[in-house]
Amino acid sequence: MEQEEEKVSNAFIPSSLSSSDLEQVLHSLPSNALNHLFSLGVCVRCVLRLFGIKGPICASVDNGSENPLDSTTSNEAKLCNICLGILQFRFYDEREKRVLQKDTAYDVALLIADMVKQERYQFDTFSLEVSIPPLILQNETSVWSYMQKKYGSEPWFQEKLHTGCISIKDALKFSLINPLENLLGCKSSLCPFRIRLTYTHTKASEGVAKCSENDGSCKRRKTGMSLLFPSNSFSTPSESNLIGERPLSSSVEIESFDSSKLFLKSASEPCHFSYNCSRTPFYFGGRYLKYSRNVSQTRWIIDDERMGEASVEEIIGTKVLQACRGDNYKFHAAGREDIDVRMLGPGRPFILEVQNTRLVPTEQFVNNIEKMINEVENKLVRVKNLKLVGSDGWNLMREGEAEKQKQYAALVWTSRPLKDEDFQQVSSLKDLKVVQRTPIRVLHRRSPLEREKIIHWMKMETVAGSSQYFLLHLCTQAGTYIKEFVHGDLGRTHPSIGSILGCTAEILQLDVTDIKMECFLT
Amino acid sequence: MSNHVIEESTSSATKELEQKQEKEKEEEEDEDEDDELQKLLLPDVCNLPSTPPSAVESNFAIYFALDFMKPGHDQYVYRHANGLCVIGLAPSHVSFKDEGGITAIDFNVGKSDRSGVKVTGKRKKNAQHFESNTALCKVSTKNDSYIVRCCVKGSLLEVNQQLIKQPELLNASAEREGYIAIIMPKPADWLKIKASLVNIEEYKKLREVS
Repeated sequence: MEQEEEKVSNAFIPSSLSSSDLEQVLHSLPSNALNHLFSLGVCVRCVLRLFGIKGPICASVDNGSENPLDSTTSNEAKLCNICLGILQFRFYDEREKRVLQKDTAYDVALLIADMVKQERYQFDTFSLEVSIPPLILQNETSVWSYMQKKYGSEPWFQEKLHTGCISIKDALKFSLINPLENLLGCKSSLCPFRIRLTYTHTKASEGVAKCSENDGSCKRRKTGMSLLFPSNSFSTPSESNLIGERPLSSSVEIESFDSSKLFLKSASEPCHFSYNCSRTPFYFGGRYLKYSRNVSQTRWIIDDERMGEASVEEIIGTKVLQACRGDNYKFHAAGREDIDVRMLGPGRPFILEVQNTRLVPTEQFVNNIEKMINEVENKLVRVKNLKLVGSDGWNLMREGEAEKQKQYAALVWTSRPLKDEDFQQVSSLKDLKVVQRTPIRVLHRRSPLEREKIIHWMKMETVAGSSQYFLLHLCTQAGTYIKEFVHGDLGRTHPSIGSILGCTAEILQLDVTDIKMECFLT
Repeated sequence: MSNHVIEESTSSATKELEQKQEKEKEEEEDEDEDDELQKLLLPDVCNLPSTPPSAVESNFAIYFALDFMKPGHDQYVYRHANGLCVIGLAPSHVSFKDEGGITAIDFNVGKSDRSGVKVTGKRKKNAQHFESNTALCKVSTKNDSYIVRCCVKGSLLEVNQQLIKQPELLNASAEREGYIAIIMPKPADWLKIKASLVNIEEYKKLREVS
């Protein structure tokens, strides 16, 4: 769609537009309709739009020579009743907090380009987005239908007015795109870096709100709304009363023609114009390792006090955010571990979403960020395989998260010395079913349920110098509570290591040694 | 022509050698990583206590209610950092003095069977709200029976169903697998009752337990 528009507009853009060119174009239009539109308070660009004439609107004119459209526009004292000043480059600037009248599209583009440069965004293309108040579309529909009623039967109608009018958004984009491309030094295209132009109108939003309050029926009018009045739609006395009624803002009553009436809400003030630019988020994927037993995965604050000395998300997030100069970040990981549990081995997959970065990270840049995070003095957290990921990163991470197996190493104490038979008994248990009632330590915030989990295999490793301490390696189904499997949680996890060995078992330390997932391994 | 062939076979031989060397290097790296992991995992024995604190000692604050409503009716209250309280019989409870210990337990006391309530959801719907002196269950010995009470005002989240089939758990490990119930008090209610409870040091002194 974008490409087609480019082609067509390219075909029509004259390299310069002289006054006589413009006059010729205007002369080619049916004079009765043309004058009617002007008398309705429609600006020249809107008139050209309605007739579907692109050329003069996007004419790129060299600096120095004037675009006659511009001089016509600046001569238009009154605000256009359709575009409310948008195509007349008249607006209330939100940054300068006052009404501005720009003479050319180039001047408007200058405002926008200055804003972009101020934020020091890095970009090699941009996408221009425009948002206009709904009232404008309502006004346009009113005028359009009115013209159709009045001139539909004329011989030229099919040919001229029926080519389809150009929308205000498109017209504005056509006039701004070339100057912006010149000022910003690159082409526009569909891309993550967006320049957004927002026009709003205070009265316009009131009108629309009232419309929606009337359960969608815009035929019931309240003051401040524009209306479409083909006579055959309604003719109850209450409606015709409105015609004589005085709405809040002045309305333009057109001479009746075949008893169809046209109301346009004429505005005394132009639209509010705000403009900004932003980038769609970047996603960094990788795996993290946690070497500390005093670092939580995410920021954890109770009663204004931080739990633990730091968090994985902050350690990684703030570094990345700083490096690409973003607004904020969101940390998403494939599962989590307790604050006192280390995350070792290949690490846990995570995705860091960074919003509105000013810089565009390259592969080298991302490698540097990874180095920076890993070279921090206290070595609490380490990052591996950090790279930019697209939307498929989410699927990779979430896919089968509940099925993925996890591997752990637990330091276990038993109340009696263990023998070879005990080792063998534990090793022989494959795919052991364990029923866990919601552990007491999370029962305050989770549903009381019984969850069946599988311990795929176990292996006990002796600890030199002790007959009651062991390293228990185990591989379990995702979602298994390991600590409770060791100490039994007052018998609420069954079986447990203690119940299997016929003694009391305690867990002193836990480490995650592997997360068996495919993603972010390179 | 033959020279050409010799060259080819030499270059493929070198390729094979290169590949083998790369694979060996990868394996070595993997081994190094595994070694590092092992080093991290293995503890230093001299730092380990001969008897570590139990799961209850590590995760709960331990309190006792002595002579609760009746002499000799000593119960424990384990309070978790998340506010939940585990209720059970203290070792000095009068029922343990009876010959043969506890033989049966009945949760059907007061107006309802405490073992029948189904509490669901994060908000703990359907949980019954009890006062601290509400009866939780009745434990029976050969000749006597004793009422066990909540001790803490709050919502009853669960009772230990295992006890119904295995009342001997109360004799063997009342302090752990023989727990009786889990109650969730409101913070204000906890503070009120806390004042009348004693901690483990005071308990040992008062009951002359080592």
